[in-house]
Amino acid sequence: MPEAAVLTDPFTDMVGKLTTFNKALTTKTPIAQTPKELVWALNKAKLYRYIPVVPKEKRHPVPLLLVFALMSRPYILDLRPGHSFVEYMVNSGYDLYLLDWGVPGPEDKNLKFDDYCLDYLPRAIRKMKSVSGVEEFSMLGWCIGAILSTIYSCLRPDDGLRNLILLTAPLDFSNKENITFARWTDERYFDIDKLLAAFGNMPGEMIDYGARALKPVENYIVNYLKLWDNIENPQVIEAWQAMNTWVTDNIPMTGGTFRQLIVDLYRNDRLMRGEMMIRGERVDLSRLRANLLTVIAEGDHITPPCQSKAILSKVGGKDKELFNVPGGHIGIMAGSGANKRTWPKIDSWLAGRSK
Amino acid sequence: MSNEQAANGKPADPMEAFRDMRDNYLDAWAKAMVQTVNTDAYARTSGTVLDTYLSASSPFREAVEKAMLRVLEQLSMPSRADFVALADRVTNIEMHLDDMDAKLDRIEKLLTKPATAASNRNPRSTETSRQKKQKAKGAK
Repeated sequence: MPEAAVLTDPFTDMVGKLTTFNKALTTKTPIAQTPKELVWALNKAKLYRYIPVVPKEKRHPVPLLLVFALMSRPYILDLRPGHSFVEYMVNSGYDLYLLDWGVPGPEDKNLKFDDYCLDYLPRAIRKMKSVSGVEEFSMLGWCIGAILSTIYSCLRPDDGLRNLILLTAPLDFSNKENITFARWTDERYFDIDKLLAAFGNMPGEMIDYGARALKPVENYIVNYLKLWDNIENPQVIEAWQAMNTWVTDNIPMTGGTFRQLIVDLYRNDRLMRGEMMIRGERVDLSRLRANLLTVIAEGDHITPPCQSKAILSKVGGKDKELFNVPGGHIGIMAGSGANKRTWPKIDSWLAGRSK
Repeated sequence: MSNEQAANGKPADPMEAFRDMRDNYLDAWAKAMVQTVNTDAYARTSGTVLDTYLSASSPFREAVEKAMLRVLEQLSMPSRADFVALADRVTNIEMHLDDMDAKLDRIEKLLTKPATAASNRNPRSTETSRQKKQKAKGAK
């Protein structure tokens, strides 16, 4: 009888671990739980205002608008209670807004940077200013959201933008040796016309493959081994599951925007060279006069640090700062060290400039 | 029992050495793969694979699209192109409504501003004419 128990135990143990592993892989966790209200919508885009928790007299008077990338869900900024940048900033007294671009359908395939920067962003900002009752605002753009924020800031420098924060901003495409995406999308190897003729929009699954293939061993093997190694640690599983929920929730990028991203930026570096045209207007970086904080992830494979540095020497403003953070493209904002390094830095930089 | 315990009192894990070896191997492999994917050879290969897939699937995709279009026409149902055109028009209307909403906001503010400014200058100006008459009677 005791022998049978000895034999059964490892199996029971293994079944328990496998059940937990399977559950972590297949179950979505509740995300984006900070209370918010919808204040504006246009097509698929939605502007949310987070319900303030700090009394009005103690709040920073300048509202902050979060602009995330087009091909991922913005709830990475509000992943789970206790590990949420949004929650942190709301608790720090910011009047916080989030622009969610939504999921583009086949009918949106012609949308370009032009539309996002001159039709959607200005209208969302106008609504935010009206709701907050102020004329000045701060903006935080992350990844492609940083490209949109930069273009908007250059084209509409008098719209009241006081502070601009760029996170892992892919703006400089001159160093092609270090940018793997630039190599992959080189016109010798990558036929963008054929791809967009077939799909209309750039499929989310392909974007996801591209991001994962930059570090294939980490993303396809090590990530799952980490989960298995920590299968008896509920905290690690919870964090892993939340991140996996976000990583596997892919959305397409509109064909028009993807074409501009590849042709104008990855292949021809038109933004840095001052040749980028948006609805006939040249994007002149020297017109960006807002206070600028550029945050670089030192271990970023998606946006290598060399892509985010040159902007500082091109903009017209005098108050500008570069902040290097150890970590990857997403880890610096959603990783376990984000609340000790990146978030407090953003808060302290912004607080002094939001009075 | 004591032999199986590590210095910190926790039971020794026989798999630890294996895990260390595994992690070292994966680490080296990961570094090699990062370098491999950032080469022209990899870019050329992945580009060719994608191109082949697109070329091979194109005839089927076009045939399905044409057949679907014909079926929808026969059933008098709108096609994807019809929905796309409709979506464009709806978004345009949304934009016009948004602009009108913003203009109304501005007008509302302009209308309320003078009244607020006047009431700040003379708090009594918010009194109704009846209240003013009553006050005047009271003064007499």
